[in-house]
Amino acid sequence: MDEVATKIIEILRKHMKEPRDDIDLSTALTDLKIESLDLAMIVFDIEDSFGIEIPYNANEEVEDFKTVGSVVDRVKQLIASGPQAAGAKA
Amino acid sequence: MIAAVGTRRRVVVTGMGAVTPIGLDVPEFWASIRAGKCGVGRIENFPLDDLYIHIAGEVKGFDPAKHVKSKKIQYGERYSWFAGRAADEAWTQSGLPTPYANPYRSACIIGTGAGGYSTVETAYRDLFINNKRATHPLTLLRIIGSSAASHVGIEYGIKGPTFATCSACSTATHAIGIVLDYIRNGLVDVGVAGASEAVLTYGSMRTWQAMRVLSPDGCFPFSKNRNGTVLAEGSGILVLEELEHAKRRGAKILAEILGFGMSSDAKDMVNPDIEGPRTAMQMALDDSSLDPSEIDYLNAHGTATSLNDANETNAIKLVFGEYASKLAISSTKSMHGHLLGAGGGVEAICCIKAIEEGFVPPTVNYAERDPKCDLDYVPNVGRDKPVRYAMSNSFAFGGLNAVLVFGRPPA
Repeated sequence: MDEVATKIIEILRKHMKEPRDDIDLSTALTDLKIESLDLAMIVFDIEDSFGIEIPYNANEEVEDFKTVGSVVDRVKQLIASGPQAAGAKA
Repeated sequence: MIAAVGTRRRVVVTGMGAVTPIGLDVPEFWASIRAGKCGVGRIENFPLDDLYIHIAGEVKGFDPAKHVKSKKIQYGERYSWFAGRAADEAWTQSGLPTPYANPYRSACIIGTGAGGYSTVETAYRDLFINNKRATHPLTLLRIIGSSAASHVGIEYGIKGPTFATCSACSTATHAIGIVLDYIRNGLVDVGVAGASEAVLTYGSMRTWQAMRVLSPDGCFPFSKNRNGTVLAEGSGILVLEELEHAKRRGAKILAEILGFGMSSDAKDMVNPDIEGPRTAMQMALDDSSLDPSEIDYLNAHGTATSLNDANETNAIKLVFGEYASKLAISSTKSMHGHLLGAGGGVEAICCIKAIEEGFVPPTVNYAERDPKCDLDYVPNVGRDKPVRYAMSNSFAFGGLNAVLVFGRPPA
């Protein structure tokens, strides 16, 4: 697992009530018992750590937030497009 | 319970006042509701800067010099202006004298979820960015959450219980419920009750954005395409009065308040529980000595978040049973937006007007049926229908639930 994935899993673990050791890229976020406010805090932490903005609305089920791997892919994509282009305004 | 109604003091509404994105007084507000007008639009009152949420239910064209009679309140902050204006409309309609003749027998409970938010923001910009020497001398008095209650109490010479409630989106409903109890229990004979909110500022929008619960394009309660709530501002205020007191002075009685219920989920700050809302609705019904089937209209909390609307629907089903599918339910937030603490105030007015005119307000912007929200939400077009009793739900962050039941003026 690369640096981005390791960091994201570290952030997920930090916000879990019962952190698990078996999280990998295929783990579904719904299996992590993360509630809506926790997810807002996780997104905030990820944005802070990588200097990006992630367009995320707690009211919507988004493909990008299905599994740990899909979050990692989306974050990498946003990092590649640079801090300006990564704005949640998109 | 029925015997208790006969013996206890009954409480009626003799005045109503509203400041909303779809009307600066009750007649204008109600005409907009009847027409299904939506007050949500692009934010114009402050620069958007880097906000990615660009919409809100702003009160537009509000000029304190024109819309607020009291010079003292004109010096207050936006949330107190709204309360001053709404209280003036309600008090004038009630016909009560100013100052109130029996001042220690009156209450003024006007809540706010956040108090003087725009004043905080201006003051901190001055201190931290503009390097100003001092904040404006009235800053503190504008910020405090009891500001509106104090201002309005001063206006009408109210010397009994005067304070603010604070329970996020249930604030106004708690205020009305408390004054109801004070009058029932003989502590006072009249009371001003409701709430005011004015949190549409850049900084406040950023805090809501960070929670990721705002819709970028509109307020669609109970509809499958709902994608978050839309913040709004304004005030909703009632004048409550003991029935015999109102009769003696020949006041025009607008409605009776029959029941109040309140509960707390004690579970989670944002994820609502079904048990708390169910209990609050059931308490309000029991307090009214009404059967669920006697409620002809329910003004739902209906915030248009995915969580609230589905949970509220389930709670309604538990309380109303088979009758739930026949109950006319609407979220007027689809028109006036989410006035947060003040929401219960303007929604109480919707219930009273619904009873008075036999008209059930619609849920506008309703596009698509959601299997999780499968009741009658009076989609898009209001309905002429006799309303004997109406219930108003307010459910807040933190799981704070408050419910009122209104009925026709006593014969």
